Amino acid sequence: MSANDKQNMLFPTNEDTVGPYFPIYFRDERLEDLTSIHPGLIVAPEGKHIILRGRVLDRHGDLANGVVMEFWQANAKGVYRTPAHADNPDLDPWFNGYGRLRSKAGEYSFRTIFPGSSKGRAPNITLTIFSDGINRVVTQVFFEDAEGNDTDSLLSSLSEEDKPKLIARHDGRTADGAEVYLLDIIMAGDQETPFFDDLVS
Amino acid sequence: MTMTLQGRLLEVGPTDNTSDQRTPRKRLRLIPQAARESFVPYIPQQAVTRQGENDLTRIAPGAPRAQGTPIEVSGRVCTQTGQPVRHALLEIWNANMFGRYTHIEDHSGIQLDPNFLGLGRVTTDDEGRYTFWTISPGAYLARPDIGRYRPKHIHISLSGGSSRLITQMYFPGEENNATDPMATLMGDAFERNVGQVYETPHIDVHHGYRFDIVVGGRNATFFED
Ligand SMILES: [Fe+3]
Repeated sequence: MSANDKQNMLFPTNEDTVGPYFPIYFRDERLEDLTSIHPGLIVAPEGKHIILRGRVLDRHGDLANGVVMEFWQANAKGVYRTPAHADNPDLDPWFNGYGRLRSKAGEYSFRTIFPGSSKGRAPNITLTIFSDGINRVVTQVFFEDAEGNDTDSLLSSLSEEDKPKLIARHDGRTADGAEVYLLDIIMAGDQETPFFDDLVS
Repeated sequence: MTMTLQGRLLEVGPTDNTSDQRTPRKRLRLIPQAARESFVPYIPQQAVTRQGENDLTRIAPGAPRAQGTPIEVSGRVCTQTGQPVRHALLEIWNANMFGRYTHIEDHSGIQLDPNFLGLGRVTTDDEGRYTFWTISPGAYLARPDIGRYRPKHIHISLSGGSSRLITQMYFPGEENNATDPMATLMGDAFERNVGQVYETPHIDVHHGYRFDIVVGGRNATFFED
């Protein structure tokens, strides 16, 4: 975009906090489990089932209750369903890659398929968090022992101390046929999760 | 002079406990170019809206009118380059005229209105326009300990394509606007979040507020050519 175009840009509406009362009424269970389209259908996305589970904690280590979480990921073959990949033969017709849930207490559990690596990236899930008192924050979640973690461009941009804060630990358990990965998100404080700026960068 | 690009340092809303507890204190990190595309969710079209869901003044079509002043809210949703955001989903919630939400976690004990849920949905049309009706909400006491009110506001969550925004529409000339912690953080830009009054030809609503929404940031324009 040229400097001239930038001058003609409209001023954005301010983001504002979601507040404490994001309507549970708007919940859509299909967005909380991306491994199935509907229990009555034989068609389903390809890939290994996983559950990403954890807690969202505040500055005091307490559960940051009232959290809306959104997830975005590539399919099992590493392809994102975006306009840029509309003609990609590796798109999965049964997988959009967008999930959302609202956690009352701050504990979350999201069932999905293990994302494939795309374009040299390690498998990851983009995570967006909304909560009372803050605007949208974003980060990415990686997986313990996944191929490509060592060379991932985003993980590599972090200090050795920060890297583990974005790597979900394999729990060694399965639940309902899904492998469980654990990651706590710490909104603020000494052990703060690294968050990224998608407005500036 | 050269400037090194840095991520934002988020500010804590004054007198807001939840903001203090949850606002990341470290400067946000920059996203390396090779990872940038993966930070642009593309939200599929969600055909969830039902008949009458854009009229929050009634619980169902034909049901009795809720108490208070029925208003219209309308506007156009576009990106910073002026491109309409088509077929985006707006999820809307606001308190009743007394300042009470029907949310199960609103324990304020303020009066409920049996004819008001305060929940609605609408999708933008081919030009990015939307219209919904609701009851003008009451201001509510958000911090009884310090007597701080949240000014009248309507919550709007917008999602569609690579546009994602949760915001609030405020009302012009409200005395609590100036002391609101989130409005304080917005500074002069707060004006962008204030609806502008207009006369509406619809006799079923008292007046309208125009609230044009501009979705900012690089994500919203990532797939524009
Ligand atoms: Fe509110």
